[in-house]
Amino acid sequence: MSAPARKSRRYLFNLFAWTVVLVIAFPLLWMLLTSIKPQSELFLIPPALLPGEITFEHYRRLLTETPFLTYLKNSAWLAGGTTLVVIVIATLGAHSLVRFSYPGRERLATLVLFTYLLPSVVLVIPLYLLMAGLGLANTLTSLIIAYTTFALPYALWLLRSFMKAIPEDLESAALVDGASRMQAFVDVILPQAMPGIISTAMFTAILAWNEYLYALVLVNSDAARPLTTGVINMLVTSFNIEWSLLMAASVMMSVPLIVVFAFLQRYLTRGFSAGAIKG
Amino acid sequence: MFREGPATTASPGKASLDTRYGLLGALLIAPTVLVFCAVIVYPLISAIYLGLFSIYTPTMEGEWVGMDNYRRLLASGEFWRSLLNNVIWTVGTLALQVIFGILVALMLHRNLVFRAFARSLVLFPYFLSTVVAVLVWRWLFNDLYGVLNHLLMWAGIVDMPVDWLGTMPNAMVSLILVGAWKYFPFVVIAVLARLQSIPDELYEAASIDGAGAWGRFVDVTLPQLRDVLIVVVLLRTIWDFKEFDLIYLLTGGGPIIGTQTLPLMVYKEAFALNQMGGASAVAVLMMLIMLLFMILYLSRARD
Repeated sequence: MSAPARKSRRYLFNLFAWTVVLVIAFPLLWMLLTSIKPQSELFLIPPALLPGEITFEHYRRLLTETPFLTYLKNSAWLAGGTTLVVIVIATLGAHSLVRFSYPGRERLATLVLFTYLLPSVVLVIPLYLLMAGLGLANTLTSLIIAYTTFALPYALWLLRSFMKAIPEDLESAALVDGASRMQAFVDVILPQAMPGIISTAMFTAILAWNEYLYALVLVNSDAARPLTTGVINMLVTSFNIEWSLLMAASVMMSVPLIVVFAFLQRYLTRGFSAGAIKG
Repeated sequence: MFREGPATTASPGKASLDTRYGLLGALLIAPTVLVFCAVIVYPLISAIYLGLFSIYTPTMEGEWVGMDNYRRLLASGEFWRSLLNNVIWTVGTLALQVIFGILVALMLHRNLVFRAFARSLVLFPYFLSTVVAVLVWRWLFNDLYGVLNHLLMWAGIVDMPVDWLGTMPNAMVSLILVGAWKYFPFVVIAVLARLQSIPDELYEAASIDGAGAWGRFVDVTLPQLRDVLIVVVLLRTIWDFKEFDLIYLLTGGGPIIGTQTLPLMVYKEAFALNQMGGASAVAVLMMLIMLLFMILYLSRARD
């Protein structure tokens, strides 16, 4: 093939590939554009792609005239609380699964993977009864407890793959130098595992941030409602649906995810598919 | 590694060290086991047990009915319809995810300007909250002002705005499409990771043997992708089968029960019809169906 032909083929491929990428990304672009258009421009026929004038009015109304900030605060507490609880337990557990030998260890690891696949709808009814029995109905605590059902197996499995990658010699060397196993864990393993722990924490926080079913069933008051059910509540309780307001809420819900996403680029493959790809 | 010095055979000192390490290991895993028992094992057993009762949700009072819930379910048309919907949804959306996922992965594997940015844009829907995905798509699908209908009418593909979510089979098609959009990045990232580890020599050898682009894809790429695709399909089958959020939020199972899958039936029985026992029975049946795929996946993941 001649050089110009190769060049034009490359050009065509780029054009085609970027068209596909933009079609995939279009819904998100449309969300962003809708959120900064004046209400009146939403109902143009045919719709205009770009806003005639840019407004942040919907964001202002979202923050001042709706319970959005309460939902946001609840979601932040939930993501933070769930992550903290799960990471502490899972770091110890993963270390145990990777570096210690005792009867039943392999079976336990398989059980963790099994629970990672369990459907939430099976657990949600007994958990609903359990929370009501404990007097925790309508609290953030009940949601943190419920979220560990999927976050703990996930974090444990992901951390196990990160910790398996740490060379065994490092710990042995510390032990030869006279450190106890717990000292070796704190001084050698933890610093090595830190990037893995941090990225696992972020993935876990995203799971909690995006969760819907448990929040729908276990919480029925605005005081404890997270963003997911809260924003849907804004949709179903309004007389006429205000799409610009909802799109503004969608953008606000997604901004933390974009930040974390950018941060996690290196670990995306692992975090997306804990268990799917051997790490 | 601790066998230095004279006492190399199983001395009491070594045995006790092994025991101590075993105990420490058990101690470290103990919080995990405790939490698992409290929030997963107990509710799981409880769900199976609840399926044998008839429980009225608001009062939570129940009576033992044995296998009656199961008998009633297996004789009801609604259960079988939901199961059929579940299979249609899972097979439909999974097929699109896999086909589209492989194609986009191949595309993003090649040299592309701003490739890292293109990858981020493609992968992001998987990261997104289902709530956001559904809100955006409901706005796109809107019958009067939705941009999708305008685009199709402008292109001359349809004359009248399409009711995307309120009629059948449109509602199921829309669900499958939105599901594919949300979840195909999972296939992309898995396939992309695998593509990067295929040695170039394999392609060179195939080229020398006279294989064209298509021949190289069939003879080299596909066989190399086989293992990762099997795992991806098993995982996505499990996850798509149990999907609740997307379907509940996009169509609510409607029109009537046109897109109602088993997870939605569980929710409806428990919290709309107030039959917790019956709901638990649906959940248990659903889990039994999924168990086959879980076992297949677990047996693959172990080796």
